[in-house]
Amino acid sequence: MKQLVSAPALFVGAGICLVGGLLLAFLYAPVDASSMGFSQKIFYYHVPIAETALVAFGIAFVAAIAYLRTQNLKWDRLGVVCVRLGLLFSLLVMITGMIWGKAAWDVWWAWEPRLTTFLLVCFLYIAYLVLRSVVEEEQRRATYAAVFAIIAFIDVPITFFATRFLPEGLHPVVITAGGTGMEGSMLVGFLISMLGMTLLLVALIRRDLAVEDLKDRVADLKHSIGG
Amino acid sequence: MAILRKDLIRELRTREMLISMILFVLLAMVIFHYAFTVKEGADLTYFTGGMLWVTFIFAMLLGLNRSFAQEKDERCLDGLLLCPVDRVIIFLAKTAGNLIFLLLIQVVAVPVFTLFFVERSYVGDLLPFLVVLLLADVGICALGTLLATISMNTRSRDLLLPIIFLPLIVPVLIAATGATTLIFAEGAGFGGLLARVLFLLGFDAVFVVAAYGTYDFAIGE
Amino acid sequence: MPLEIEVEGLRKTFGRREVLKGLSFSLERGGFLSIFGPNGAGKTTTLRVLATLLTAGAGTVRVAGHDVRDDPMPVRRTIGFISHNPMLYLDLTALENLRFYADMYGVDDREARITELLERLELSHRRHDVVRTYSKGMRQRLAIARAILHRPRVLLLDEPHSGLDPRAVDILDGLLTDIRDEHTFVMVTHNIAKGLEWGTRLMIVENGRIAYEHAAGVDPESFSAVYREHVQEGSVL
Repeated sequence: MKQLVSAPALFVGAGICLVGGLLLAFLYAPVDASSMGFSQKIFYYHVPIAETALVAFGIAFVAAIAYLRTQNLKWDRLGVVCVRLGLLFSLLVMITGMIWGKAAWDVWWAWEPRLTTFLLVCFLYIAYLVLRSVVEEEQRRATYAAVFAIIAFIDVPITFFATRFLPEGLHPVVITAGGTGMEGSMLVGFLISMLGMTLLLVALIRRDLAVEDLKDRVADLKHSIGG
Repeated sequence: MAILRKDLIRELRTREMLISMILFVLLAMVIFHYAFTVKEGADLTYFTGGMLWVTFIFAMLLGLNRSFAQEKDERCLDGLLLCPVDRVIIFLAKTAGNLIFLLLIQVVAVPVFTLFFVERSYVGDLLPFLVVLLLADVGICALGTLLATISMNTRSRDLLLPIIFLPLIVPVLIAATGATTLIFAEGAGFGGLLARVLFLLGFDAVFVVAAYGTYDFAIGE
Repeated sequence: MPLEIEVEGLRKTFGRREVLKGLSFSLERGGFLSIFGPNGAGKTTTLRVLATLLTAGAGTVRVAGHDVRDDPMPVRRTIGFISHNPMLYLDLTALENLRFYADMYGVDDREARITELLERLELSHRRHDVVRTYSKGMRQRLAIARAILHRPRVLLLDEPHSGLDPRAVDILDGLLTDIRDEHTFVMVTHNIAKGLEWGTRLMIVENGRIAYEHAAGVDPESFSAVYREHVQEGSVL
């Protein structure tokens, strides 16, 4: 996969999709009929960001299992990178969510399922990073991080279900059992944004992996010099 | 199992942990009373569930730290690892020990709390309540034991455990609190209660399996 | 004589530091290997790998015919480990400690064995006392009992004589003499006298590698010279 698409191309591809999605959202798709009106357009970014965050954590989950199986540190590196990016995206979800909330319903925050879940998810993966920071030895750190990444990811859907026990919220349900509930014109923009976000994630993963690799090599050099 | 017996003997002998935790729980009750009684004659029935579970979770954090600190001290953990026993058995034994512990504390705490805070008698609904209690406890202990095993080996072990434990246990908190409050305030009407009970069951099943699968890694070196 | 311990290309890295850089040695059944070396050389690490407490980074390690990584359970049943941490539960009595370990190892004649060992180690009179009240020497003695409770065929000793009072040293030596036959030993020590006295094979580990290896029967003088060359500190003859 790495050889297939070069990094710059990925970024460009992501950029095009994102901008394209945005244009479509603003120019092509109709304004939402419900009370949300224009502010609904943030949806084109908000949801893709959320999905992408979950994808990132999912990759971290798989990487964690792979690490425990093979003891190969490259999986650990993939895991950290994905968690960091997932965390970044999660924060964006919360921010865009709050903007949307303010614009559409005039409230900065509501304790409803999705937002609450993402809040907890943030805490969860921040805990992951904290855990990493207090273990010094490489292999052990990777092992503990992997165990936690597995548990954390399992906890995400569970947390989501749990938050449904809480009193009702304002968040509109986007994807119902029947279908997406969106007309074709909205759907196109949405899907392109999704694609764009995912490409962005992949591009960022690759870039971060390369950065981590460089950091490692620098540390190795320092070590051999005796630093 | 032998491990369980050993842990229990040790605890009963020193009684440090048990007494401290019971004291903690009772103190928490007093603090909650002062913290929440803002209006005259306020009815805290709807809050009791939350108070109870928050207290139990924090008490367990203290308890978990202690129980593993002892193993770490004289390198007893090495002694344990040298024995020809499956690592998972160690996990099950430790979890069971913690569970018994938690139950003992709850036996004291629940009557006291509800005596002071709950307006209506829920003795008729005792069985559902105990079910909820047990299920939530299992989740807390299983997850807690797994995480304590990890955190005990790190630099700032006492500080780390709350950080990694609390976010993960929130679902249990939500379900248990909801269920408990329902029982206290309105009686065990099904529907809402059943959903939460099933949820706790699912949580337990999932995490016990997860812990089972990863414990080898968590405790090894 | 069959080989009880076989180590081949043992490597272990902690973080960035490679502590063991490819050790290879073997010990036949009934042998006694004395390992010397400066601190940080990797002696204790090697012992811990043999004891299944650490997993090797690379290489194969077999104890009593079983691979330490793939098949650790039988290995654990055949080894006894004595280190300077007694691995005893301070808040339990000596009797409770031993009963616990006996159960864990599945010792059949539990009570008889415990009584026998407590007498051997001259701790019978204190067996109902909590270990916290024991002196260091007594704790070490109890640790020895713990280690040989399940009649292990292989004994791994990490500086067993350090911290013992003279009486305890005598008891330990007496015990070792008694079980000398039929058992295999690996002892890490800084005590050259003891190492030479007991060892059938001598080894100096330095910097993660074997710096010197020889069958017993060396002239103490020349060994001292080699020792001083590789190990800066340590108790001299």
